[in-house]
Amino acid sequence: MRVAAPILATILTVVVGSIFFASLGHDPLATLYAFFVEPLSSMNGLSEWLLKASPLILIACGLAVGFRANVWNIGAEGQFTMGAIAASGVGLFWPNPESVLLLPLMFVAGMGAGMAWAAIPAFLRARMNTNEILVTLMMTYIATLFLSYLVHGPWRDPAGFNYPQTALLPAAALLQSFDPAYRLNSSIFITVAAVILMWLFTDRSFLGYKMSVSGAAPLAARYAGFRESAAVWIGLLAGGAAAGIAGMAEAAGPLGQLSPQISPGYGFAAIIVAFIGRLNAFGIVLGGLLMSLLFLGGEGVQMTLGLPSAMTRIFQGFLLFFLLAADFFIFYRVRLVRPIRDAHALETAR
Amino acid sequence: MNDVTRRDFLRYSGAVGAVLGAGGLSTIAQAQEVLKIGAVYVSPVAEIGWTKQHSLGVEAIKAAFGDKVELTVIDNIFMPQDAERIFRELASAGNKLIFGTSFSHGTPMQKVAPRFPKVAFEHCSGIVHLANLGTFEAKYYEGTFVAGAAGGYMSKSGKIGFIGGFPIPDIVGPANALLLGAQSVNPNATCNTIFLNSWFDPGKEKEAAKTLLSQGCDVICSMTDTATGVQVAGEGGAWSIGYASDMAKFGSGKQLTAFVLDWTSDYVGAAKAVAAGTWKPEVRWDGLAAGVVKMAPYNDGIPADTKAKLKQLEADIGGGKVHPYGGELKDQDGSVKVAAGSVLADDDIRGMNWFVKGMIGKLS
Repeated sequence: MRVAAPILATILTVVVGSIFFASLGHDPLATLYAFFVEPLSSMNGLSEWLLKASPLILIACGLAVGFRANVWNIGAEGQFTMGAIAASGVGLFWPNPESVLLLPLMFVAGMGAGMAWAAIPAFLRARMNTNEILVTLMMTYIATLFLSYLVHGPWRDPAGFNYPQTALLPAAALLQSFDPAYRLNSSIFITVAAVILMWLFTDRSFLGYKMSVSGAAPLAARYAGFRESAAVWIGLLAGGAAAGIAGMAEAAGPLGQLSPQISPGYGFAAIIVAFIGRLNAFGIVLGGLLMSLLFLGGEGVQMTLGLPSAMTRIFQGFLLFFLLAADFFIFYRVRLVRPIRDAHALETAR
Repeated sequence: MNDVTRRDFLRYSGAVGAVLGAGGLSTIAQAQEVLKIGAVYVSPVAEIGWTKQHSLGVEAIKAAFGDKVELTVIDNIFMPQDAERIFRELASAGNKLIFGTSFSHGTPMQKVAPRFPKVAFEHCSGIVHLANLGTFEAKYYEGTFVAGAAGGYMSKSGKIGFIGGFPIPDIVGPANALLLGAQSVNPNATCNTIFLNSWFDPGKEKEAAKTLLSQGCDVICSMTDTATGVQVAGEGGAWSIGYASDMAKFGSGKQLTAFVLDWTSDYVGAAKAVAAGTWKPEVRWDGLAAGVVKMAPYNDGIPADTKAKLKQLEADIGGGKVHPYGGELKDQDGSVKVAAGSVLADDDIRGMNWFVKGMIGKLS
């Protein structure tokens, strides 16, 4: 049944989507083709597909470690931003801009900053029992404002007409793409490593098992002597590290500089990806590829068929809605319960 | 302006060859009869606002060329990493002229343009130019100066309120000109400012407008992508100044005027030049004289002789007799930035990151 849910959801989406597109006067088959096939029919399309999916998968892997233990890190967007800031800071201000150590240092800085940003809610939750959902979410706004302060103020490009953006990162601080004609770069290997690590941790390690238990049955976990605070720390730090690395890869990859907005919502979209993937490493890979394809397909139908972006978003909503609804109806049975009309009838029925 | 070396050119030609080989040939063959043009908008087209004015420019191309043009429009693209993909795809799909309409499209266009040396790129509000990347921009400050003068005549308190999207030179400069316009008729005028750090946040903008009203401002100008400032001012009985589009119908009859952006000449001009094979990357920066900035009809509440003075001011700015940033200009601390008798240099206007004397608020 767990396998049937996504298939059912896909069929429902295709059917409802076809009706939707037909009612707007577009050939449903051509639209679906432009949505799902055309974006992947060229090398550039494949490169863009993986480039967009990579940060989503990376962040979702980190988040899922926490989600499995009921540690709700909603602030990956902020950890992503801090990772990008720290990595760009190293890239921009390291004394030797041609050093081969630049990228490794940026990697460490990005990961460290993401973890540090996640450590604050982890400490507050572990020691003072604050709600990590609220704290992580609000820390996102602080990170965004901090970025805004830097690019409007001290880090502003001196040669940029006072516009709020930093100078471009030096060449040694940029992840090289595999082929100059395409944008996909070596950060994809980081994502692959993260997926494997996450699978090893959740499916093959005792610590991962303990975290799953504290998520599924907190009381049983406490009874068995598993410390809740350990789950909180590991869950949040894993998410922070993954998001920080994703921020570094975005700054050193497609962006190449900082501006007031650097994330197209990767930190939030990764939450959806984690749940589409059912918090499982390989499910997350599929979820990330799907989200990325939905995004490219949405642009594709705008470009080839002239559909407005609002329509493509509605269609994307269909798919996510059916996916989650199919899950719900597989795990829960709907029973109609008649209200009891009068007590006498109840008595005689007995 | 042109930094492409021969080595760069060879390298990029190779890249273009690779792209063509990867499947661009069929589209090139079709493109010979019909001129393919792409445009990328930063937000969906609404009833009013920034993107609406750009869509009017694109429609003007359609009207001028009819069947001879094939337009592809992609909206709601703000983030640089998405924009780069879109520009690349538009270029490899055979579009010969591609418009970017937001400052955030700049870096992506600079990355994509060298790879497609035969495609003409036009960037609105850009600052960097390449061999095939031109820019166009409006002299907003000419519009705000006239609108500010209208505010100066009509304000009782002498306090103008300004709401800006972001504290970038494109907004800070016009805000200064708004106050300078008001001071040209009322030397004691001041201007309270609030920046939203968003182009589109009606909730925040409403709060900002109410704050300005409670501070005693009785003329409000809002440079964002909504009509909220005009609306809240009108509901509060204050005058308002619209931006980008004529927002009179949102202002409860209290919109003094609006400085309307009309990009038609930029869009149609670039399309005609590309069709004729004469396109060159230019730095187009026009205002009232060229009609890129236009003043919306003045409010009937403005006395006829004042209207005549404002019309005269429009003509004087367009004709170069009056320069909005003519000296003497002092900054907030009172130190002289432009001496009497001279005007602020163009580069300093485009990079303006300081407030003139009388502006109240900080550039954070």
